[in-house]
Amino acid sequence: MPNRRARHLTAALTLSLLLPSALAADPKTVAILTPFQQSVTTNAMIASLQDQAKQRGWKTNVVDTKGDMGQLASRMEDVISSKVSAIVIVSTDPNPLKTQIQSANAAKIPVFGLDSGYIPGMAMNATSDNAAMGKSITNLLFKAMNGKGNLVVLTYRPHPGVLKRTQALDAALKNYPGIHVVTEQQVQVPGPIENSRQQMENILLANPGKGAITAVWTGWDEPAIGAAQAIQAAGRTGIKVTGIDGTSQATDMIQKGSPIIATLKQNFPQMAVLVAQQIDRVFKGQPVIATELYAPASLVTRKP
Amino acid sequence: MFTRWLRRYGTLVAAALIIAGFSALSPTAFFSVENALNISRQIAFLVIVATAATVVMAAGEFDLSVGALASLGGVVAAQLAVRGVPVALCFALAGLAGLGTGLVSGLLITSFRLLSFITTLAVGTVLGGLTFWLTGGSTVFENIPPAFPALGRATLLGIPALSLVTLAVIVAVWFLLTHTPPGRRIYAVGGNESAARIAGINTGRSKTLAFALSGLLAAFTGALLASRLGSAQPTGGNGLFLPAYAAAFLGMTAFKDGIPNVFGTLVGAVIIGVLANGLTILQVPTYLQDVITGLIVILAVTVQRLGTGARQ
Repeated sequence: MPNRRARHLTAALTLSLLLPSALAADPKTVAILTPFQQSVTTNAMIASLQDQAKQRGWKTNVVDTKGDMGQLASRMEDVISSKVSAIVIVSTDPNPLKTQIQSANAAKIPVFGLDSGYIPGMAMNATSDNAAMGKSITNLLFKAMNGKGNLVVLTYRPHPGVLKRTQALDAALKNYPGIHVVTEQQVQVPGPIENSRQQMENILLANPGKGAITAVWTGWDEPAIGAAQAIQAAGRTGIKVTGIDGTSQATDMIQKGSPIIATLKQNFPQMAVLVAQQIDRVFKGQPVIATELYAPASLVTRKP
Repeated sequence: MFTRWLRRYGTLVAAALIIAGFSALSPTAFFSVENALNISRQIAFLVIVATAATVVMAAGEFDLSVGALASLGGVVAAQLAVRGVPVALCFALAGLAGLGTGLVSGLLITSFRLLSFITTLAVGTVLGGLTFWLTGGSTVFENIPPAFPALGRATLLGIPALSLVTLAVIVAVWFLLTHTPPGRRIYAVGGNESAARIAGINTGRSKTLAFALSGLLAAFTGALLASRLGSAQPTGGNGLFLPAYAAAFLGMTAFKDGIPNVFGTLVGAVIIGVLANGLTILQVPTYLQDVITGLIVILAVTVQRLGTGARQ
């Protein structure tokens, strides 16, 4: 008798567990792949996208390969095998993933880019206009330098977005013969703040004179933070630093009067919103609005 | 009896259990011919770089520059392809660059009796700088001719060409190490250097050969990786370094008692590759994947150690 009761109880429990999932429609699964989850901004975009997905009842699965592109290609193949509903690649150049994007197309899985760049085969990409941002922060810095002086460049050209910004700097430098690049250094990722801080300490040691360094142009906020910390620790004054991204730490440092004079606040959450909206359209069988969508950036300087 | 058996086949059993586990949890996506081929292609690079590490470990040394060598190989091959060099020659020259670098490392270590740990770490750092200098830090992908990515993406009777190349490399290195005098000398030097020297073996030459072979394999892997991605990242091969040694150490726990061996390394790479593939398919978060992979390596090495203890 107790045996039968136990059996009934088990059956009821099993049913109660199975029923809701049987009644609910199969939820859509969105695989989010990136080689740079450690980056504050990438992380913010992923968090925003997950939030958007949650609101729409989609499941998400985040895969990070710690800077390894070969692994990224492999993991993308895996999520295609597991038949996810959509794939979003975050903060990465889609060119090395051409074959995997084709495989996803063959499996009828749409591929979206979040701050990644667009290539044929993808549904769309949402980003900031990196070239425009590079141009506008460079102009601001060059004006602050009065069009002359010694410039240090801290960047990371392998990242497609940062590359576009740096190319905007390259172009602007041609119009400013009075600005001399002391050195361009590639910042190590992961660990960009610590690495750029160390690099800047060494550059400051190598260029000790007043005015030996007028300004530091950085490809994004984390090297700007590291460089500013090094400048402050060395007690050097008058060196202007710019960043791009508008992270809370850089914004805070600008307001507190650190060497960082400006950054551009990219609207990362908005980029994820744009991507989520387009995923929604594709899930409903509608075409995307455009293959490249831009979230507008805003300038952050010290408030008087 | 059981411990001896466990020591010899424990790693192989673990590999089988992992595969069986994933097959049960994901019978459609994981347990399919398509996914098996997928895994074989995904682990190709890891297997060859781990084989490179195994060769040097067989000589009783370590080559910590294998990741940097792979990055350099990829960049060299891709840049040559962009300049219109025939694709086969791109691969050969990338391999040759690695062979030359390995030769230099080997000569430095054996001529000046340097520690291989430090020397190859330094060589790797130099190579990292060279690779950045060659590329200006940018990914090489513009103007790569379509023939270059062909090998990385080709299939033969449905089997990825990369998997076949990897198989050929493993068999060739296994044959060299176990069936030819230079290979046996490498093992002899790794087993007991003094005894090998007394037996008349030129230990310096054997070690240098091991480093040269390791360089060749690692740089060739980089070229294959660039071919698969249709582009070369300046740090593209760096990520292979730690998993390669994990695979080689796992491999030492398979088949042979604590001796680096090529087929053991293959089993090690399969375990690492299957874990990454299966856990992704099961949508396990990345950080948990790292925890699980690390724990399995520790477990495998511990089991092997327990077995040795029991014997003693």
